[in-house]
Amino acid sequence: MPSLAKMIFGNGPLGPSFAPWIKSKPGLQKYWARWSNFYKNAAGYRKKGYLYDDLILEETPQVQKAIQRLSPQQKYDRVFRMRQGLIQSMHHKDLPKDQWVKPEQDVRYLTPLIEGVIAEEAERAEWDYMTVEKIQQKRAEKRNIFSKKEGHH
Amino acid sequence: MYSLAKVSRGQSALKSAFSRSVSSKASSAGGVSVIGFENKGPAATSSLTVAIKAGSRYETTPGVAHVLKNFAFKATANASTLRTARETELYGGVLSAALTREHLFLSAEFLRGDEEHFLSVLASVLSSSQFHGYELKELVLPVVQSESVFAQTSPSTLALDVAHNLAFRKGLGNSLYASPHYPVTLDDVKSFAQGAFSKSNVAVIGSGISTEALSQAVSSAFGSGTSSPTSGSLKTQSTSYFGGETRIPLDIHAPATSVPTMVIAYGSSSTASPDLKVLKHLLGGESSLKWTPGVSPLSQAADKVPGSSAKAFLLPYSDAALFGVVVSAPTSVQLAGLAKEVASIIKSAGKEAKDEEVKRAVAKAKFADATSTETLEGLVAQAGPALFSGGEIKSESFSGVSASSISKAASELLKSKPTVVAIGNVSVLPYA
Repeated sequence: MPSLAKMIFGNGPLGPSFAPWIKSKPGLQKYWARWSNFYKNAAGYRKKGYLYDDLILEETPQVQKAIQRLSPQQKYDRVFRMRQGLIQSMHHKDLPKDQWVKPEQDVRYLTPLIEGVIAEEAERAEWDYMTVEKIQQKRAEKRNIFSKKEGHH
Repeated sequence: MYSLAKVSRGQSALKSAFSRSVSSKASSAGGVSVIGFENKGPAATSSLTVAIKAGSRYETTPGVAHVLKNFAFKATANASTLRTARETELYGGVLSAALTREHLFLSAEFLRGDEEHFLSVLASVLSSSQFHGYELKELVLPVVQSESVFAQTSPSTLALDVAHNLAFRKGLGNSLYASPHYPVTLDDVKSFAQGAFSKSNVAVIGSGISTEALSQAVSSAFGSGTSSPTSGSLKTQSTSYFGGETRIPLDIHAPATSVPTMVIAYGSSSTASPDLKVLKHLLGGESSLKWTPGVSPLSQAADKVPGSSAKAFLLPYSDAALFGVVVSAPTSVQLAGLAKEVASIIKSAGKEAKDEEVKRAVAKAKFADATSTETLEGLVAQAGPALFSGGEIKSESFSGVSASSISKAASELLKSKPTVVAIGNVSVLPYA
């Protein structure tokens, strides 16, 4: 398990968050879920027709890359929600109640993609700074089925 | 490291090429046919190639084979794209993919002793490629696009591609390159790959490794691979020859190396005979010596126009062959004159050939045949089709070739309608 500090601050463009730590403790998560839902409803973004992932800061290379990976339909819907939300904000109005985003509609469509991009970057960093000992160890552990041929050349 | 003394005298490269092509026998490992060639020389490297019957002639959508070729060695269930590349670098290996009209070849070249790793890389490409949509967009399509554009800017590549299309229309006539006019979706690639990567469709060729060792390793590495013969295997229609003419203006933005080019070819829907192989060298076009055009009729003709070339080619396929000449000259006017001369040479091909010329051509053909297996591409190009057609790899026998048999084969070939492709200033270039 990664350290607490890494869990909180290691989320890249998603910003510092206790969520990974809370998720790792099922009991705590169960308790925290009600506060989480309370916050999401109170924040009011659902009343303007946004999804939670629309609020993620998008001016980072990682999020830009993740947005590129959305399907055309997802991209279109995202822009539509933003324009709709912007208009509601200008009018200082919420959408009619039947158009509010329901909790089950509030899917995290972007977060998994951002996490994928972050994981790729982390893997690249790991390979960039790795030591070759790793492979040598692996090679020593492996049974070589061509051992007869060894020393032939 | 290697002193010359270690190489025993009797083993010239040529001899080992012959002995190895005669002695090697294919075997089967868990449904995959396998063949290994042991190098007798001091080579410290081995190579493994997976030959897949998924060339452009099996395409379900235009360009899908080209896209699949570039999808090789991307993310699999075992390793990400980056990991595959970095591990290969650490082992000091080279991974490559090549596409022909009939086969897709996935190759790994590496130092001896690393067989296990590279075999598992190849096996995981076949069994568990992930085909991520974003990889198609970010990594695969840009390369596909640049390869297609590059092929378009090379008149000889473009001319041969178009010549195949004229000669065979569908199947073998499919272009090797994806085209912007026919978008390839991820689902196309996935379904094509599913048919292509089934065990019955795959053969493994190794060099620097014995057949026994290879088949043992293959049956353990490919054991978990997709073997379901139920998955729809790829189909192609049998080839028939059509022929025809097309004229393409040379793009004025093409680089200076793109010179006006013509291809004059004749095809047949039977496999290439030894007579045709010799005929190629009889017409020639390539000099055996530096600074001299040589004595073959084509190179004599090309010598009259500075900067031009005329080379005979023979492209053998499993059920067809395309024989012809690629002619190029610095300007379209020069090309027009040269092409007419080449056409008359082709028409009289094989007639009145002196015994001495035939002997020379047979010797050249023999050498070319033997030396082709010295490179990995040549070896694979010869062994792959042989494995799929059931087995043994023989070196071609030229004993039955004589002046009369060549002229008979040539007149048979020239009966068919010619395939003519002209690329350049089409208002100047001659018609067929």
